[in-house]
Amino acid sequence: MRNTKCLAMVLAGGQGSRLGALTKHIAKPAVPFGGKYRIIDFVLSNCTHSGIHTVGVLTQYQPLDLNTYIGSGQPWDLDRSGGGVYILPPYMKSGEGEWYKGTANAIYQNMGFIERFNPRYVLVLSGDHIYKMHYGKMLQMHVSTGAAATIAVIRVPINDASRFGIMNTDENGFITEFEEKPQKPKNDLASMGVYLFDWQVLKKYLILDEGNPDSKNDFGKNVIPQMLAAGERLHAYHFDGYWKDVGTAKSLWEANMDLVRTPPRFDLYDPDWTIFSRSAAQPPHYIAPNARISESIVTEGCRIYGRVHGSVLFRGVTVGRGARIVNSIVFPGAHIEAEAVVENAIIGTEAVVRRGAVIKSTDGDNVCVIGDGETRDAGSDFLQSAAIGGI
Amino acid sequence: MQDTMGIILTESDDVTLRELTEVRSRAALPVAGRYRLIDFVLSGMVNSGIINVGVATKNKYSSLMDHLGAGSPWDLQREHYGLFMLPPYASHEKYAAMAGEIDVLMGIMPYLRRSRQKYVVLSTGNTICNITFDEALREHKTKGADITVIYREENTPGDGERLILETDDVGRITDLSHGPLRRTGLLAGMDMYIMEKELLIRICEAAYARGEHSFVMDALVRNAHTMRMYGWEYKGYAGRVDSVASYFACNMEILREDVQTALFRQEDEIFTKVKHLAPTRYGDGAEITNCLIADGCNIEGSAENCIIFRGVKLGKHAQLRNCIIMEKTHIDTGCEAENVIFDKECLMREGKRLMGQPNYPIIIRKGAVI
Repeated sequence: MRNTKCLAMVLAGGQGSRLGALTKHIAKPAVPFGGKYRIIDFVLSNCTHSGIHTVGVLTQYQPLDLNTYIGSGQPWDLDRSGGGVYILPPYMKSGEGEWYKGTANAIYQNMGFIERFNPRYVLVLSGDHIYKMHYGKMLQMHVSTGAAATIAVIRVPINDASRFGIMNTDENGFITEFEEKPQKPKNDLASMGVYLFDWQVLKKYLILDEGNPDSKNDFGKNVIPQMLAAGERLHAYHFDGYWKDVGTAKSLWEANMDLVRTPPRFDLYDPDWTIFSRSAAQPPHYIAPNARISESIVTEGCRIYGRVHGSVLFRGVTVGRGARIVNSIVFPGAHIEAEAVVENAIIGTEAVVRRGAVIKSTDGDNVCVIGDGETRDAGSDFLQSAAIGGI
Repeated sequence: MQDTMGIILTESDDVTLRELTEVRSRAALPVAGRYRLIDFVLSGMVNSGIINVGVATKNKYSSLMDHLGAGSPWDLQREHYGLFMLPPYASHEKYAAMAGEIDVLMGIMPYLRRSRQKYVVLSTGNTICNITFDEALREHKTKGADITVIYREENTPGDGERLILETDDVGRITDLSHGPLRRTGLLAGMDMYIMEKELLIRICEAAYARGEHSFVMDALVRNAHTMRMYGWEYKGYAGRVDSVASYFACNMEILREDVQTALFRQEDEIFTKVKHLAPTRYGDGAEITNCLIADGCNIEGSAENCIIFRGVKLGKHAQLRNCIIMEKTHIDTGCEAENVIFDKECLMREGKRLMGQPNYPIIIRKGAVI
């Protein structure tokens, strides 16, 4: 049997229903981000940079795009002999088989996969967060504290705390309390969805959890509280870099806007921490005479004839003459025709905003979302986002 | 075209490209923002279904090796055949010491013999174009040609030496000569040939035995009347790079939309090495007009009619006009440049000025600090 010291399991099966039209055909981790990436690139690149070469990606909802995208793992240097990236969809076992019921159940169903590598530690990661983190440092702390599990935490604004798993710790950093999405949070220390376990301990609790018919088989709701209740030592690992959960259209938009601010809040240009992605060769982007472009990021294959400000343009986007794009994200292959206006919006993959159409959020708290492949004509101006569910 | 192999002979003794080919062969010249010259003919071969391509080099081939790697961007990283880098001394040093294409071909003879394909597409890889060879090969077979010479009707006279074809009304070559294009409407060879592999071997051996070195002069021009040679006209866009002026002009031409469409928005793609660079970021002072810009740049200043390669930094209030800026060159705050070709990794320090002329651009050598 091979020995892999630390193995990573990436939870990538979520539907991402709060992203509405953007995840109709693809899983949340496959949603485009930052001009030429997909959300899952960040966690996969973290693994590569942390020296973790065995990664299981648990897929369930609309996995086709994600599976094709990850492929052999070559762009992330994860096409390794004796390891690399493995796509793990739910499958039939002898006489039975079921969908992944929850995050913990997804790992439970793949215990056989994990055992093959005989790891000492298992890192459980979410496939839908934007951050750069060296898991090796976390592992070092995990080993030195002797904890059964280490959970990465970040301080969040107290008003947002009820959206996260919130922890209380003692003076030594050991976790005394864990509440998943509390209504009245007592603290601002949020779980980043990055869990590091001693595999033998995790295995025990996964089996226990599976045996409990009332459990939702979820790490935050069930497994972690169960471990705490049983007196296991859980330690918090403080992370103070950029971290963003891009689970809603608004947060996805905000995280992209963080890239175009001067200076950007999240740096894609660190030569020591390249974000890897799978991309095909496209010609450089073309900026025509009379185009205007400022505080934006643009990638290959785009053709820009209009005005672009404060926006993120993905591969192969066209912006027609006299069109105006402000504070928006335009996904791959979308066409913004001449004289159209796009403001505070997310335009889906290969969507078309016809000549003169207006896509604009009038309400500062919301963003307009045009789904993949949709077409908006002039006259059917789209000024509010209330019509789109789940924002 | 599984029955056809490709051979790309790279040229490296150019003096006409001055500093640009000091450190690299012509085929490795960076063009069009993210490509190298060889990408076009190599993609053409791949798009024609050729799965066995040999790239023969004489010297200065490190940038080419770095670019081509194992051939995966061209889908040529294969168990059977794929991409073969053929540096000199591949078989015998007596061929490598000499100068011409015949010697290079003699040097790769073991590779030629080992390959089981019947036909060869032979090229030098110095033309920017989007070509496939299927139709030319079909005609080659139906006409029973010994050699098919791919040509283009050229309407711009130039000083660059070309193979000039005379053909009859069925396309058979009646005469060949080599020299500059003195008038418009001449049929000029594109340095792309189709023939049976066995014939190529015979021609090379015969020429070598007579002490000849040049494929064009000795194998083609000399045999124009004795062999069945046919021309096949390529009608698409072609930009031939054989001098600093033509290098500059070809790049500037790619700023034209019709040329971009002809090269990059066709069913057949042009492949190149993929690098993991973030998208290009524009600051609030950026003023860009009519530019082709690759990924990984940080643009704060202004640029007009420029080709900007990957990872270039353009500082605030910098002004570039009609420039080619290769990979990782940094132009500091307040610099001004016009008609300049910056090679890779140059640094132009704050406030400096450089003015070339459209017919005589300034070349800044790789890694230079201004």
